[in-house]
Amino acid sequence: MNKVILSVLGHDRPGIVAAVARILFEQHCNIENVSQTILQTEFAGSFILTLPPDLLPEELRKILIAEGSLMDMHVHIEPIADESAAFHSRPSEPFVITTKGPDRKGLVAGISAAIARYGINITNLQAVFKGGDAPGNNIMIYEVDIPSDIDQKTFYQELRETAESLTLDISIQHRNIFETINRI
Amino acid sequence: MLTDSEIISTLEMLENENLDVRTVTLGINLLDCAGDDLANVKNKIHSKITQLAEKLVPVCDGVGQKYGIPVVNKRIAVSPIAVVGAALSASQLVAVAELLNDVAQEVNVDFIGGFSALVQKGIARGDRALIEAIPQALAATERVCASVNVASTKAGINMDAVLLMGKTIKQAAELTADKDGLACAKICVFANIPQDIPFMAGAYLGIGEADAVINVGVSGPGVVKKAIDRALEANHDLDLGHISELIKKTAYKVTRVGELIGREVADNLKISFGVVDLSLAPTPHVGDSVGEIFQSLGLLSIGVPGTTAALALLNDAVKKGGAFASSRVGGLSGAFIPVSEDLNISESARQGYIGLDKLEAITSVCSVGLDMVAIPGDTSAETVAAIIADEMAIGVINNKTTATRLIPVPGKAAGDSAFFGGLLGQSTIIPVNNGPNENRFIRHGGLIPAPLQSLTN
Repeated sequence: MNKVILSVLGHDRPGIVAAVARILFEQHCNIENVSQTILQTEFAGSFILTLPPDLLPEELRKILIAEGSLMDMHVHIEPIADESAAFHSRPSEPFVITTKGPDRKGLVAGISAAIARYGINITNLQAVFKGGDAPGNNIMIYEVDIPSDIDQKTFYQELRETAESLTLDISIQHRNIFETINRI
Repeated sequence: MLTDSEIISTLEMLENENLDVRTVTLGINLLDCAGDDLANVKNKIHSKITQLAEKLVPVCDGVGQKYGIPVVNKRIAVSPIAVVGAALSASQLVAVAELLNDVAQEVNVDFIGGFSALVQKGIARGDRALIEAIPQALAATERVCASVNVASTKAGINMDAVLLMGKTIKQAAELTADKDGLACAKICVFANIPQDIPFMAGAYLGIGEADAVINVGVSGPGVVKKAIDRALEANHDLDLGHISELIKKTAYKVTRVGELIGREVADNLKISFGVVDLSLAPTPHVGDSVGEIFQSLGLLSIGVPGTTAALALLNDAVKKGGAFASSRVGGLSGAFIPVSEDLNISESARQGYIGLDKLEAITSVCSVGLDMVAIPGDTSAETVAAIIADEMAIGVINNKTTATRLIPVPGKAAGDSAFFGGLLGQSTIIPVNNGPNENRFIRHGGLIPAPLQSLTN
């Protein structure tokens, strides 16, 4: 399997996905997954592809950066790790950790370090820091998988203490509550 | 992947709008504890309740913490004690009430309901003993709640029972005169009582129910009010059809929370899940009031003209949203208007915007009835019974549940304040027309027959 991950980064504008997808089609690549997001003015897209046997990742990268409409984009291609080397979560439950509080440096570092210490995987992270002291303007939302075999009480306590030291309000809730309330 | 707006709006409901699960109530069937030997009955009741309810509070707290949603009250409802203790005397039933109080304390629940009798068609020996025991039982205990069903659409209104309850309520008030008649805050008189109410004081486990069942009472008046406020702020011209839709959606969310928590508690306790009661239940805290919703809808205060229409809209929308959200709906399912328990309604009573007549009128479009209404201490037993009879008639004729929780506050007059404390709140005493006088109509007694079910105008 000639499976790679392609990432494309740069200033957002119409036509980026179309240009990438056209080249991939022309080069007989198969797209398995795509995720794109826009942070403020910047585009970030990730594509998981299988390449035809005769196409090397570096060749594809050259074709992509030679494309006029992708001229100033950063393009990177990396082979995907073997299944055996991939991270597999232990049996776990999905939780959502939310923090609110005045913006300052080190908030993401502090909270994510506490999460990482317990071997908890972050499956999605959204954070907005508009600055100032309004708590609602500065929010982090971590979706995490908390392994069932960790000491949850100690983790909660450590996370709360970390949040307090960063003057953040924190809540930790099972993900089901958000799905239950908001979705049919 | 969740969206940030889903997460932020949910947190907003929790942090600023008092979204919670108002009560998880464990229903326990005590019929197998019946007998004529008091000590034996008490032993059986004690062991059955402690065995089933031992983990109720820790499990509710654990599930509440997992989802970040507090389960405010944990309660127990038992089979009607008039049936369980049918062979016992009134004084023995007082001892049963004291035992229930002790067990409630032991398993750390704040109320235990089911000191109840069903007498809509006739009063059996055990029922009479229980009603006779109510004043002493409620004066001697803190956590026991009593309810008596005196009417139903199928049976009519048992006016002998109505008068008996008028007298019982007066006695209960006198026995707790130093606490503004607090015992009466724990007595509900019903028409068409449901078998699965999780809310106090009317909770009991019906005869047709399983051995043990978890029923959940949701709440959320604060969430509904804020949703209306936000929508009207965005669009001042929002019409009532759209407001109804908005309330439906909000009730859906509130109910889903109750269902999720209730089912998980039931699973953890290995007890079957019963129903979600879709009621807007207020507390005496700012931002957790049903009365405030009326002001958000544009009324000066609950009680002014427009109140009945507004409540009809509110109640119906809550039921529609809730019924879609839950697969098992039951209990009372309607907006509560407990005067003393709702800061805003209590204030409306103080300012004279709402009185007994309007309270009675609005019970035709909501549950539960004249709830936590403080009336002058010199109101006669016959007048108390007559107020009950009026309320029962609304329930019986309209095929719905109605109830009264009246507190004739000893030594106090209309306009004075009565203080009950905690969730029971405080209230200005509401005047009663012809209060202290006799009422010959009530003294006739007998049964007001069951109504015709057609020709419904």
